[in-house]
Amino acid sequence: MTKKKMTPSQKRQAIWGWAFVLPSILGLIVLNYYPAINTVYQSLCKTGDFGKGNIFVGLNNYKTVLGSAEVWQSLWNTVKYAIVEVPLGIVIALLLAVLMQKKLAGKTLFRTLFFLPMVCAPAAVAMVWKWLYNQQFGLLNNVFHTNVAWISDPKIAWISVGIIGVWSIIGYNMVLFIGGLQEIPKDYYEAAQIDGASSIRQFFSITVPLLSPTTFFIVQTRIIGALTVFDLMFMVMDKTNLALNKTQSIVYLFYTYAFTNGNRGYGAAIVMVLVVFIMIVTFFLQKLEKKIVYYN
Amino acid sequence: MSKKLVALLLSSVITAGLVGCGSSEGAQTNPSGNVGTTQTASSDTSGSEGGYTTDSITINIWDSNQQAGLQAIADDWSANSGVKVNIEVIDWDNYWTLLEAGASGGEMPDVFWMHSNTAQMYMENDILLDLTDYIAADASVNKDNFYEGVWNLYSSGDRQYALPKDHDTIALLYNKSVFDKYGVDYPTDDWTWDDMYEAAKAITEGSGGDVYGMAMNTSNNQDGWYNLVYDYGAQVITDDHKGTTIGSAEGKAGMEMVRKLLTVGAPQSVVAETGTDSLFMSGKAAMITQGSWMINAFYTAENHNDYAWAMLPYADTNSNGTCDAGERYSACNGLGWAANANVADPKACYDLISYFCSEEGQKKQAQLGVTMGGLKGVSEDFSGAFEGMDVSAFVRAEEEGDLFFRPYTRKTTVWEDALQQQGGFLDAWQNPEDSALMATACDNAQKIIDDAIAAE
Repeated sequence: MTKKKMTPSQKRQAIWGWAFVLPSILGLIVLNYYPAINTVYQSLCKTGDFGKGNIFVGLNNYKTVLGSAEVWQSLWNTVKYAIVEVPLGIVIALLLAVLMQKKLAGKTLFRTLFFLPMVCAPAAVAMVWKWLYNQQFGLLNNVFHTNVAWISDPKIAWISVGIIGVWSIIGYNMVLFIGGLQEIPKDYYEAAQIDGASSIRQFFSITVPLLSPTTFFIVQTRIIGALTVFDLMFMVMDKTNLALNKTQSIVYLFYTYAFTNGNRGYGAAIVMVLVVFIMIVTFFLQKLEKKIVYYN
Repeated sequence: MSKKLVALLLSSVITAGLVGCGSSEGAQTNPSGNVGTTQTASSDTSGSEGGYTTDSITINIWDSNQQAGLQAIADDWSANSGVKVNIEVIDWDNYWTLLEAGASGGEMPDVFWMHSNTAQMYMENDILLDLTDYIAADASVNKDNFYEGVWNLYSSGDRQYALPKDHDTIALLYNKSVFDKYGVDYPTDDWTWDDMYEAAKAITEGSGGDVYGMAMNTSNNQDGWYNLVYDYGAQVITDDHKGTTIGSAEGKAGMEMVRKLLTVGAPQSVVAETGTDSLFMSGKAAMITQGSWMINAFYTAENHNDYAWAMLPYADTNSNGTCDAGERYSACNGLGWAANANVADPKACYDLISYFCSEEGQKKQAQLGVTMGGLKGVSEDFSGAFEGMDVSAFVRAEEEGDLFFRPYTRKTTVWEDALQQQGGFLDAWQNPEDSALMATACDNAQKIIDDAIAAE
């Protein structure tokens, strides 16, 4: 294909086009691309104090990271968190969204209530839950007369943290689902009713397939969101918490190395592992999209 | 195909960008708190009688207990200088994260506290304002009047980077009403750690586990288990700051005593969720060890009439029944007032620091019960600050016992944190019945510290 010469008016348009996107491009370069590239560079260095005096060490950091049981444990913790948060967050939100479509007294109130967690600062949410879970004085143990170490028992702490995540995300997912539901033409339901389909049958044969683009979008963004979780673990778990090793996410581990311990190179290498992991997950999700998502 | 590629790229950019924000260059690594006053180095000198070019100074500290007292002292200085002083409190963990982010190219506070944990690293990298010449020109600051140990923490070569703000010691805090309730004698200055064990045991068993005889957390190092290690003759960090003897027989003996205490104290799963101070103040723990910087929190607590202080117990290592030299140690440390090397008006910052460390400032700090002095000769003012509460145990700890400086190396937090977590002491702490675990933990600790120092 040969390149055609642009006419003067096309040229003018092109210049203006560039002028309009330039601020965004600059912002992206300064705030996203430069730090991203710098992270790659730092992951190849033994970084000095306060970001000065970096020494290039090649793949040494990666060798240590990949040989570290701690990193794999944290990656596994993160996956476990995603396994709790993503499916539960989606199923509950979908059910709520369908209910919210029905004629219901106080619908707006419920919508607001379910969306509220989204408006709260994550740190505040985590602090409140931390006290709900507290073994000595917590509301949960007092109401149920139990003595469970919700967030200090390595066996259940990851579920407890996952539940906070589900609670915080339901409202957001629900709003997206409501948007998706409103896109579905009413005709299908009317036709189904005339054919005598039950509402459960309608839900699985009409709602679920026609909602699949929305569902897929939520699944994809939530998986990425869950894999980069940090604030929940950071706020809820104390450093001396016995369950920390079995619960901390990989971004938490990165924070510990990069900021608390001041070992930026090693932290950067940890995070590159996460990036690669997310790329692989996304790749398979894209493959899956072709198979299960129904676009009309 | 291209769509797939774009999606891949986008998703990776999102994550990498998220991460990149965390890299040292990301200016937005300062999420909160550290709002250094915009140094509007306005040339207008209205109100600045000392000829200062700035009209306000921002201070960062990590202890909210001290904020009110320090602000009062700073206000005295402001009244003369015309420069406003804002004190902001950031909790200990985030304090260092933010300060380091600030030092790596973000916004730093003008004046801030320095701690032995990290002082070496900050001094070597020229992050702190060099105070040497200011001190030489300042007749009111004389090295001999300060606690030498604290002074030396903040000198590198022949340069001085901070002035001693305070010094601190550790004592045993107990709740008299709990002791009365279970008929156990109060702690005395003649207590050994074994006596403490017996008393804690009597209370824990007497209450059927409802009240714990004592509470200690792995994070209570300076105010807790470090002291036992030294009492029994080992050192967490050797005097040359190049190693440790925590894995030695003496170190293991000290930690064995810690283990015994833990068997009659609050379990780790409890203290990890509810801090030892909260347990104590809610009457759930009868004894804790605490540092002099925390007195005010207990003095102003609801049931403060029930609280009393004793010297830390000692370790009768030669079994002669009395406390000999080297058998009772208390950790000691002192903070320094330091300033940012790139501050717009270094003279104003130095003058503020100098005032904090002057006799007047130090006396007021002691009288307000903020902390003990970094300057010698204000101990009595401090003891007198807490009417109705005898805090002389802290002063006696240095007069009658021995002091050791809080162990530090270039990157203290690296091994300090590792010791607290799983793979360090956490497993042994969690299962205090198993003495073999504690011995293994001491060996692990030896390795953790040695490795960390080797990597510095």
